[in-house]
Amino acid sequence: MNTIASQFNNNNRNHVHHEINESNGGYGGVDKLELTPTMTLPPISQPTDFLRAHTDDATNPDCKIKIAHGTTTLAFRYKKGIVIAVDSRASQGNWTASQTVHKVIRINPMLLGTMAGGAADCQYWETWLGTQCRLHELREKERISVAAASKILSNLIYEYKGMGLSMGTMICGFTKKEGPTVYYVDSDGTRLKGDLFCVGSGQTFAYGVLDSEYKWDLTEEEALYLGKRSILAAAHRDAYSGGTVNLYHITEEGWTYHGNYDVGDLFWEVKSQEKSFNNVDG
Amino acid sequence: MNSTVASEYSSEIHTTPIEHRFNPYSDNGGTVLGIAGKDFAVLAGDTRQVEGYSINSRYEQKIFNVGDDIVMTANGFAADGSALIDRFRNQLKWYKFDHNNKKLSVASSARYIRHLLYSKRFFPYYVSTLIAGLDDEGKGCVYSFDPVGSYEREQCRAGGAAASLIMPFLDNQVNFKNQYQPGSDGTEKKPLRYLELDEVLELVKDAFSSATERHIQVGDGLEIFIVTKEGVRTEYYPLKRD
Amino acid sequence: MAGLSFDNFQRNKFLVSKGFGQPMATSTGTTIVGCKFNGGVIIAADTRATAGSIVADKNCEKLHRLSPKIWCAGAGTAADTEMVTQLIASNLELHSLSQRRQPRVITALTLLKQHLFKYQGHLGAYLIVAGNDPTGAHLMSVQAHGSTDIGEYQSLGSGSLAAMAVLETGWKPNMTKEEAMKLCADAIESGIWNDLGSGSNVDLCVMEVGKDAELHRNYLTPNVRSEKLKSYKFDRGTTAVLRSSIHDVLDVEETVITFGNDAMEVDA
Repeated sequence: MNTIASQFNNNNRNHVHHEINESNGGYGGVDKLELTPTMTLPPISQPTDFLRAHTDDATNPDCKIKIAHGTTTLAFRYKKGIVIAVDSRASQGNWTASQTVHKVIRINPMLLGTMAGGAADCQYWETWLGTQCRLHELREKERISVAAASKILSNLIYEYKGMGLSMGTMICGFTKKEGPTVYYVDSDGTRLKGDLFCVGSGQTFAYGVLDSEYKWDLTEEEALYLGKRSILAAAHRDAYSGGTVNLYHITEEGWTYHGNYDVGDLFWEVKSQEKSFNNVDG
Repeated sequence: MNSTVASEYSSEIHTTPIEHRFNPYSDNGGTVLGIAGKDFAVLAGDTRQVEGYSINSRYEQKIFNVGDDIVMTANGFAADGSALIDRFRNQLKWYKFDHNNKKLSVASSARYIRHLLYSKRFFPYYVSTLIAGLDDEGKGCVYSFDPVGSYEREQCRAGGAAASLIMPFLDNQVNFKNQYQPGSDGTEKKPLRYLELDEVLELVKDAFSSATERHIQVGDGLEIFIVTKEGVRTEYYPLKRD
Repeated sequence: MAGLSFDNFQRNKFLVSKGFGQPMATSTGTTIVGCKFNGGVIIAADTRATAGSIVADKNCEKLHRLSPKIWCAGAGTAADTEMVTQLIASNLELHSLSQRRQPRVITALTLLKQHLFKYQGHLGAYLIVAGNDPTGAHLMSVQAHGSTDIGEYQSLGSGSLAAMAVLETGWKPNMTKEEAMKLCADAIESGIWNDLGSGSNVDLCVMEVGKDAELHRNYLTPNVRSEKLKSYKFDRGTTAVLRSSIHDVLDVEETVITFGNDAMEVDA
């Protein structure tokens, strides 16, 4: 495992020298196109254990460096395209670090990625994926397929397997030859094509609503509401999900943003409209 | 008090020897907070630096004007914080040398800081980072980062030791969370508005004097960096020293 | 059975290994000092209590009475100093009743050290014991494991180094009461400013031979909170009312019972 780690290490290089080189020629020069950027590793024999001891709050609740976690995200395919709905809460341990995270990453005008697990891991690698997709377009003179894009990401993640990356993501897009397509990619190296996925600590709650109401022939309005409603259910029952719902819709024209809904307001609205959530006063 | 991070490897089983003593992290306390206004942004922080139960310094600057009217702070482990800020400041300098003194936007700075933080994903900087300045439209902005580079633009953010004391206060007083219009019986939220600079400064001072009361690592002095279109200026106010 | 129960020790160890930490005991970070003077002894303490790095109490009392003329200052786990002090105070009183003698400082110290030793340091009490008895004024200290010290001046707690620095520079033999009070207060203040575990005010107790002990609660208050700049009063109606239910706290029932026509006999 750590032998893999060492190949990303540049310990032999003089750090100061490297810094200056980077700042002189780092911008769009004749730099070789590396698959992965340089990563600094702690100068010890077991970097993965070091990382776990210092950042994994599941095994060590006292660890000081808490990385943002927790989520409910979903995406599903239906007749008219793809609906993507996510919550917006980030937790560091028991602390709600943010209620306003954008968990849908706009890889490019045709592709969206969702974010669950380590916030930095998802943000970083999915924006990186955006650059790779652009390079593909420039080289091949055609837009990348969702299959290919998701595979670039899953291959990258697989190289880092066992080193502590934490991601559960859905790569969603619409291409002519594939139609509406959703791929689930996670940090174990799993890559699955499917019609419907929920990912994150609140996934079970979202599946509960989504599975019971989902059908292929949903109208666009119904589909968007179902996505929103499923996230609401998860936000209601999962302590690590909440904040607001972000809604996206993908068709052959690309993605469109369908708004941001505060869970606090949405809850009362849905409750009075559906006459549901009768266990709650008000 | 255990001021260092627990480094427990005892449950791991290995064939090679394990480094037990390698614990490069420490916590130097302190708290920072950033608020964005309509045409200004502030970054404030206390000036105390601690280690365990001792005070290293009652005045140690931890917010910096890194250039291009961007102010930056990296709170947590002081050595990592200053290393990160030095690196960014250096890179900003080179950027200007290489690009005919071009101004770096706050948004681009934020993106670059993400790369600085993520390049140490497997050996993280133990800091919570904030930058503040004016965006391309001249509106105030604050960006906040987690230790490994996940970031977000926000209206306000508290970081560091007393973040959990200050952040709920800010949610309530800046974004009017949990406040409704009287008489509407919870159906109408208190409308959002941009706060004026003097209002913001009062909130900041109250936040810090209150955090000083209840957090042992906060105190001594409060330094506020204010970014407006006229540039960056600082204010200093004493805090309790116990 | 008397004493502490260790029934849940195994269970708690298991829970900790599963990542469920134990609740944090309030510890009195603390600076405490004691100093003898010509004709008596003084103890003093700060008033900050902490739970981790949060200030749990800004004005707690760390000076405890063991008997009317024997007082002690406590550092360590707040609950332990409080309880062990109360227990020993009771035992000291019983002892003095059965012996028909004034309680002595050395007796208090012996009871404390025997109790603490029995618990092998699991009771986190660090105490400075001082007072007058028929044999004169005394100043002693006892540590959680049961070891004791006797001296002209002492300091204990997380701020003990800061306080001792002041005591070592300022102490001299045969001080007056006023000099000793000033020295003790200065030593505590040193802890208040320089030790993060200590803060707020200075409490002080003077035990002069032949007089009642004098407790100076908040002898110095160098950390008064400045006024807030803004008012944080909310308008009435800022919070939504989801449900209201009104309960009578007291049900008043009136029943009139008449006993025939005769007036009740009140007094025989």
